[in-house]
Amino acid sequence: MFTNFFYLLREYNVPVSLQHVIEFYEGLEKGLAPDMNKLFTFTRLTFVKKVEHADAFERAFAYYFYGIEFPSEFSGRSDLSIMETKQFKEWLKHQIKRGDLPRNCQLSMPSEELIRKFWETLLEQTEEHHGGWHWIGTGGFSPYGHSGFSERGIRVYGKSKNRSAIKVIGERRYINYASSSNLRADNIRQAFEPLKHIVPEGPKTSLNIDETIYHTARNGGEIELIFEQELRDKINVALFLDNGGWSMDPYVDLVGLLFSKAKDRFKDLKTFYFHNCIYDKIFTDPERKNSYSTSKFLEADLETRVLIVGDATMAPEELLDKHGSIEYIPDVENSRRLYVNIDRNGAPGQVWLKLIRQRFKYSAWLNPIPKNYWDETHGSETIRIIRDIFHMEDLTLNGIKNTVEYLNAQKT
Amino acid sequence: MEFKGTSNYFLDPELADIVNIAIVMEKPLIVTGEAGTGKTQLAFEIAKGLDMGIEVARCKSTMKGEELCYVQDTVLRLNDSRFGSGDTGRKIDNFYDYVIWGPIGRAFRADKKVVLLLDEIDKTDSDIQDNLLDVLDETEFTIREVNDTIKAKNKPITIITSNAKRELSDPFLRRCYCHFIAFPTPDYMKEIVKLHFPDPDEKLLDTALNIFYELRKNKKFEKPPATGELLNWFDAMQRSGINPSKLSMTNIPYMGTLLKRTGDLLRYR
Repeated sequence: MFTNFFYLLREYNVPVSLQHVIEFYEGLEKGLAPDMNKLFTFTRLTFVKKVEHADAFERAFAYYFYGIEFPSEFSGRSDLSIMETKQFKEWLKHQIKRGDLPRNCQLSMPSEELIRKFWETLLEQTEEHHGGWHWIGTGGFSPYGHSGFSERGIRVYGKSKNRSAIKVIGERRYINYASSSNLRADNIRQAFEPLKHIVPEGPKTSLNIDETIYHTARNGGEIELIFEQELRDKINVALFLDNGGWSMDPYVDLVGLLFSKAKDRFKDLKTFYFHNCIYDKIFTDPERKNSYSTSKFLEADLETRVLIVGDATMAPEELLDKHGSIEYIPDVENSRRLYVNIDRNGAPGQVWLKLIRQRFKYSAWLNPIPKNYWDETHGSETIRIIRDIFHMEDLTLNGIKNTVEYLNAQKT
Repeated sequence: MEFKGTSNYFLDPELADIVNIAIVMEKPLIVTGEAGTGKTQLAFEIAKGLDMGIEVARCKSTMKGEELCYVQDTVLRLNDSRFGSGDTGRKIDNFYDYVIWGPIGRAFRADKKVVLLLDEIDKTDSDIQDNLLDVLDETEFTIREVNDTIKAKNKPITIITSNAKRELSDPFLRRCYCHFIAFPTPDYMKEIVKLHFPDPDEKLLDTALNIFYELRKNKKFEKPPATGELLNWFDAMQRSGINPSKLSMTNIPYMGTLLKRTGDLLRYR
């Protein structure tokens, strides 16, 4: 009973352990799943231990018990990719055939509108039919059929004061917490968590009992209290934000917010701004008016954690050519003073990037463009060059986590 | 034994199911979620609803875990050994005269089943969580100094809250039930407000809720307004008799009750 479901969960990357499977059967015996909705709640409690897995679990549950295949991603504009899924295309075809949407709707209507309609239909369908999305995916039914309905002891249409499980699933309450999810205000707390691990924390102790007893004994019984001081390492962080291009807009505030929340964990947090690429000048304000010399920054503490957030997408000449900056002409004199080997005609962006990389071993690049698009997007060429210089991760929860792990692994 | 909520706490039916499943399966329940979703309150309501006592452990980052079970008052014992215990009745060679029981110790030793609340467990270090885990799982702990085992007379109903400040360790999560309280939907929120203000100005409430959710949705606040802020704000408006028709996104009276940070107030403007 339900064995296939456990394997399906694993396919959806929800970790399943034998211990939980046993617990699940124990619960069934105790009568914890008298109807579909309670089964849903109970199963989720048993198998989902992290909010990152909640959405995947709900999708697997919908697929197994209702035969509905939810796409894994659904959210704002960065997820227009949903329009490329099979489900969406079939839905669109069907809508056009029925005359509900004009033939050229993909051109005449905004994508957001189409996607919204798609979800509306999906929710309606799931409510009306309790498990038949007739024109989407694999004919509407999972290869498991409606095994959930026929499993012993489970009433499908049992009355419950709860909202029906499938409707709850349809709300996709946890999608923003999925680890592949982009950084946004909802999950900023989650992103914050791995960041804290950048900072090694010293042990916290107060009264040292052993020493106190030892010294008291040596003192002939006269009590002497020995206190220990706690040690706390604090680290400098420098954050570089590319706030020049449209692709960065949604992220600049968020990343700034994320790090300002983490501020008390750092000895010092400096935020710098740049446009597309870093040259001899970086800026301390978002408007990029107050400049700061990159050479001066390069004198900062070697231990400084340097995180660069940018889409790494630009014209190749901005990265490779002298005077490549699209905003200003790099200051020749300044760049020459410290690094004589740099061409006196203004060093190309990639030279500056390499200098930063050489100086700071704790440095990495975060890219708001999802990893799987790096090879295809129009900036793929510059992304490739920058990836040769910096370790790059995408600006997702996983990406931030990986970055911190990467930075910590640089310790020798 | 079934928990059905209490008169002044709005209980999401799903959460009620979850609590009851945890009680039947005798597993600790971890509730996470944004501030103002009633995580801590839940434990108190369970105690009230089931007519039980409650032991509360408020976790701190400096905790080592053991003190939640017991502490040996070494300093007092040292002092007694030097200056004598006088007429306090303490005997210097009786270890238990110098033991102070922590919340877990008290919950395990209680004659009746109690609710045990570990509040904000995420503030502790992960190795401490692992230590606590064994204690909670076996419902027993050992007093190191005298090698005595304290076994729970009744397994407490354990509720653990976490603000997700730090991720909890995997083994810890594996042995608990975890529930992530989503922020209340506007409908639920209305119920919550009504529990606090039994006879609200309906029109004012609807307008206020609209603005409240709009604020949460639109602006990137460092600390977005949560339930507590909404209640204070609504209270202030109701007391001063604000006219709901004058209320709008651009005209929000008592803004300070909704947004607490200077940066957020500036962002709103």
